[in-house]
Amino acid sequence: MRFQEKLRRYSKAELWKEYCGFLDMTMDEYMMMQKRLVMEEIEIWSNCELGRRILNGKKPRTLEEFRAMVPLTTYDDYADILLKKQTDCLPAEAVLWIQTTWEGGMHPTKVAPYTKSMLDTYKRNMLACFMLATGKGRNDFDISVTDHMLYALAPLPYATGLMPLLVQDEIDIEYLPSAKEAATMTFRERNAKGFKLGLKEGIEYFFGLGSVTYFVSKSVAVLQEKSSQGSLKEKLGKISPKILLRYMTAKQKCKKENRDLLPKDLFQLKGFMCAGTDNWCYKDDLEEMWGIRPMEIFAGTEPTIIATETWSRDGMYFFPDACFYEFIPEDEMLRNMEDPSYTPRTLLMNEVTAGEKYEIVVTVLKGGAFVRYRVGDMYRCVGLSSREDQTSIPRFVNADRVPTVIDIAGFTRITENSINHAIELSGLPPMEWFAVKEYTKENRPQLHMYVELGRQALLSAAVSKEVLKEHLSVYFKYMDQDYSDLKKILGVDPLNITIVKCGTFELYEKQYGKKIRRMNPTSRQVSDFLALQDTRNTLFYRGGDSNGQL
Amino acid sequence: MVNYSWVSVIALFGYLFLFLAFASARKSRVINAFMLLLLSLILYTGGSFMMRIRFWPSVIFWHHVSVAGILLLPCSFYRFFLDFLEVHRKKETVFWFLFFAVSFIVNVFTGVFVPEPQVVEEAGGAVRFLYHYSWPVYILFAVCLIMLVQVIRLFLKFCRGDALILRQLRPIVIGIAAVTVGTVISTLSIFAGLPMDVLSVLVFAYLLFYALYRKRLFKLTLLASPANCYVVAVLVSMLFFYNLITPIRSWIERTLRLGETFAILIVAMMIVVMIYLLYIIMKKFLDNLFVKEEQIQAETIKEFSYAVSKTLDKNTILSDLIEVICSTLHVDHVYVCICDENGNYVMERTASPLENKSFVMKADHPLVIYLRDHDGCLLMEDYKRTSSYLSMWETEKKQLDDWKIECFAPMKDSSELVGIVMLAEKRKGYSFDDYSLLMSVNSVCSMAVKNSKMYELAYNEARKDELTGLFNRKRFYELINEQFERASDCSLALVMISVDDFKLYNQLYGASEGDIALQKIASIIRATTGDHGYAFRMTGKEFAILLPSYDIYSAKLLAESVAEQVRRMNVNNDLYSLKVLTLSCGVCASPYLASSAEELITNTDLAVYSAKRAGKNTVVMYSEDVGKEYDSQETAQGRVSYYDTYASTIYALTAAIDTKDHYTFNHSQNVAYYASELARAYGMNEECIDTIREAGLLHDIGKIGIREDILNKPGRLNFDEYEIMKAHVENSIGIIRHLPSLDYVIPAVLSHHERYDGNGYPRGIAGEDIPIMGRILCIVDSFDAMISRRSYKSPMPVDRALNVLYEERGRQFDPKLAELFIQLVKEQNIELRKSKTDQGEQA
Repeated sequence: MRFQEKLRRYSKAELWKEYCGFLDMTMDEYMMMQKRLVMEEIEIWSNCELGRRILNGKKPRTLEEFRAMVPLTTYDDYADILLKKQTDCLPAEAVLWIQTTWEGGMHPTKVAPYTKSMLDTYKRNMLACFMLATGKGRNDFDISVTDHMLYALAPLPYATGLMPLLVQDEIDIEYLPSAKEAATMTFRERNAKGFKLGLKEGIEYFFGLGSVTYFVSKSVAVLQEKSSQGSLKEKLGKISPKILLRYMTAKQKCKKENRDLLPKDLFQLKGFMCAGTDNWCYKDDLEEMWGIRPMEIFAGTEPTIIATETWSRDGMYFFPDACFYEFIPEDEMLRNMEDPSYTPRTLLMNEVTAGEKYEIVVTVLKGGAFVRYRVGDMYRCVGLSSREDQTSIPRFVNADRVPTVIDIAGFTRITENSINHAIELSGLPPMEWFAVKEYTKENRPQLHMYVELGRQALLSAAVSKEVLKEHLSVYFKYMDQDYSDLKKILGVDPLNITIVKCGTFELYEKQYGKKIRRMNPTSRQVSDFLALQDTRNTLFYRGGDSNGQL
Repeated sequence: MVNYSWVSVIALFGYLFLFLAFASARKSRVINAFMLLLLSLILYTGGSFMMRIRFWPSVIFWHHVSVAGILLLPCSFYRFFLDFLEVHRKKETVFWFLFFAVSFIVNVFTGVFVPEPQVVEEAGGAVRFLYHYSWPVYILFAVCLIMLVQVIRLFLKFCRGDALILRQLRPIVIGIAAVTVGTVISTLSIFAGLPMDVLSVLVFAYLLFYALYRKRLFKLTLLASPANCYVVAVLVSMLFFYNLITPIRSWIERTLRLGETFAILIVAMMIVVMIYLLYIIMKKFLDNLFVKEEQIQAETIKEFSYAVSKTLDKNTILSDLIEVICSTLHVDHVYVCICDENGNYVMERTASPLENKSFVMKADHPLVIYLRDHDGCLLMEDYKRTSSYLSMWETEKKQLDDWKIECFAPMKDSSELVGIVMLAEKRKGYSFDDYSLLMSVNSVCSMAVKNSKMYELAYNEARKDELTGLFNRKRFYELINEQFERASDCSLALVMISVDDFKLYNQLYGASEGDIALQKIASIIRATTGDHGYAFRMTGKEFAILLPSYDIYSAKLLAESVAEQVRRMNVNNDLYSLKVLTLSCGVCASPYLASSAEELITNTDLAVYSAKRAGKNTVVMYSEDVGKEYDSQETAQGRVSYYDTYASTIYALTAAIDTKDHYTFNHSQNVAYYASELARAYGMNEECIDTIREAGLLHDIGKIGIREDILNKPGRLNFDEYEIMKAHVENSIGIIRHLPSLDYVIPAVLSHHERYDGNGYPRGIAGEDIPIMGRILCIVDSFDAMISRRSYKSPMPVDRALNVLYEERGRQFDPKLAELFIQLVKEQNIELRKSKTDQGEQA
């Protein structure tokens, strides 16, 4: 039975319980479901070629044995089978392959198989997100078949392209523009068409990456400018009378308040969802623009859709039937980063502590290929229960990627390898560097590189900050389509360069006994590093004085 | 009755019918609210009607009754609406009730809202009632308007995005619309005289009734009670005769020429007969409409209950259950899972014998947990919408889909889930009546199944050996006769098994280790026999296997396989180097070598005896020679003492220790003497006395392997030296083990340093687990050591040594044996022996 038929047949409370009932679970019930489903996955995964190869002849019979026998995995462990799409080696039949960028231009793509059951679970959990996004509390949601959705997501074969397809399977809400039409359009065309249709038919839902929804929302103000030139007026005939009335009122209001036209002036959203990283940077602005705070969800190519916020917008809950979750405590993860031979300890959902930060490890259920897979995301547990949500399961907020990856606005994933590669391709002289993800005054993410050039290079080549930035930007864009899209789609150039004085890296190593971490050193390490630069200046001048060289 | 008064009467009867019907139904908040609403309508319509016919006591009285109904109507409808939406606003409803109650009282005394009507008699006997309203009536209208707005607000709130509630409320909305339209059109001249408002309110009441029915808030069949039939019959009769009584009476008087009294009597008779006939007709009609199906179901359940109460056989009960479900509900596929002893739900029975019955749901299966926690039947469609369903494995979901399961009916006995009935699709879908039937038969069945399981358990317990789980001797005799009868045209083989030297094994390792060995042997026998036969534990160390359709050769092969597995059983056990156990097996089979069950048992027994005689650890087939051998042995006289044969070996060993440690040699001889005397006094037979004597001589033989400097060290031994000294027990066993003919003394030697409280060595066993010979040796060994002179101590006086024995009884020593020994020494029934060193020194 499709969701829209259920809307006619069942009460709101019944439907809410069906889709969002996991929020009513106790911790024991949640773990019971997790453990039961992971046993199913162990059973089928350990009997397939992929499983046998990773298990190396062992066969876990219990969850404890599974956690002891199966190492923590990364995409490298699956690449040769998955990239060749060797379906006979998989635990279950793949009905769809979803694609994404692997590592900032270093590896072109990675693919993940989706089974029928995984898609069913995806669909069900997607609908739960919809319900929670439109509801104001328990047992409440507002979904109708006559609604329209504006979405700012990449089409298939990217994971985001699944959403309209799956939801359309269940309810005939209208996508602005339709998924089929959108697949052949550029990003800008899609947005323009989406708003055009929205003006005619209304927009009830909006879904996209946080950064992209922000960019799209900003473009609404442009409508006003264009309208003054007559382009909107030309289309007035195609605008719904309701929105036309709103437009006229809003225009007066904007003039009076001396501000730009905002989306909330034209549209009354029922639900607003965003995915990706760095959403917190955009949420306040988006709420201001749309009059409704976006509800964050977490979905990825490998893990599928796994977490959602609720009406309280205060942390995400993990769906118990999508993946089996393990959590690596932050200190264990850092220890493992420094010593890759160290196997970090993992905790289960009922073992996490509020306030702690964890790297998430998932085992994709329902015949998924990935087990004990390090997705590369960090989560902070914000509570083990919630009085407001009346829940007794932990909730989390996305705390960014793991330190080895710099993710800018959910678009690109820059690693040490990709930076080295860009430097190499750019033909710039050898340099010492480290990179940190930082946020600008406007709360926007940026890649901040601290670079130290060799003394020789300073004499032989023009390597000013601007030159470096220009060079590196060009090659980042050349190597990494996603990085290029940042500029193309969002109009953002996220690279910031700081040139540090010669010898600071060496001094840091001498002072602290080890080199500074190249990717995302801690803020303490960065401030120590920068302080060292100042110290070094002082020492240098003192030295000069004493030698009488100056 | 004039004009359209019948409309009011019909409406009144309609309300009364509904009111009485609900009076006998099961009450809930919303049903109560509906009845209150009906009451207000009855008061309003009834009061109005009575007033118009100027019924006793007065027009004014009925006017007030009708006003009471009108004033009760808005708040009773408001309460009904709230309860229908399951919204609880007690304070608000109480307020409105109080408001209208006060308004009514005020109106009774002042007529401020609805004044008393002015009765105008028109020409032709017609009567008109004129009301002169004033402005306060608009207060009531305003209040009603406020309540209506509130109702609309609630309606919009609850219907927003909820199609189901909108559908449920639709009849009520239509009803409100009908009342509005009815009231409006009643003012039109075309409907002059026809009380459309009254009709529309009647329609409204029945639409509310329909709304309740749609929401499944009551069961229609419950409304068809005999009382309702009586009331309706009486009312219809009264209405009928109210109009016709005078014409009928006149007709009787005129036609039959009877007096007035007789005419009235006949009319009264006619009323009674008519009421009765109406009752019968209505009852039949309602029974056919509502109750017939229920009666059939009740009959079915009754028959089923009777059938299952006659049997304790689970299969019969389940097959009856399936039959009753299939025949009543017209379902093709039914699957029944019953809880087994491990708490798992195993498929025991299906409607079709061809179905795969290897389906099991473990105790923690989500469906099992769900049904355990919830009462009533569960539709697959509903189950799929629960969180519990999400925990199911894909294979489990597929299996249920393949079977097209549509309904689960738990079989519960109080809160215990005895079983689960799974029903495949039904053409018309499952109804509430189906659920009720399923729950009834399941309830009966759950008790029957539980009883049958208890019976099965008791039956098995009475026929099974507790230790090994095999059938016991009683069951053996039942089954062998039964099988012999059945095997009249085929063979029946019997294997009898005796564990060799099991007594020794028990003494060596204690009774608990012996029990473990028996359990292992039983498990080997059970696994080897499988479904081909029956395994029994006959006595302590004897087993039997009954093999229908086995010839003697196959039975022998099976026995050899068991014997081989038992031989290998302890090979890998390196904890204590457990003694290898062997079996002596006898095999016989009918009709080849026995013509009755008794003969079969006797001959197999003889074969076992023959195996024992042949040196044990063998399988012997019964033959005539075996019988003869037994007969000749029976006639042989006397008992050969095996110990005489081994005496020379024992003395050779003791002599060996004498050369190394003279004390130990003397001590061993003393211990042998004291031990044999104590054993005799304890009442042991000569064979045991001989054994303990040999054990006494050999108990310290392991000291051959201890360094002389430790054996004869003056002063106390340090920890390491003591550990070496303690090893003499294991050394002794190591030496004796190489002499299979002497292994009967091992238990005593092995345990002579065990303490009664369990703190001894080498095994730390306690109490009765220590072989009795070991306990005897422990006492006499300690006693002789105490009263002997050693390099590190002077001899202890005998009295003090006896005191030590007394004080340590229950701790180091067996209390009974210690006291017996003390008594023997004190009464000089034991001659005290001094060691040669002591004698030398004394000399």
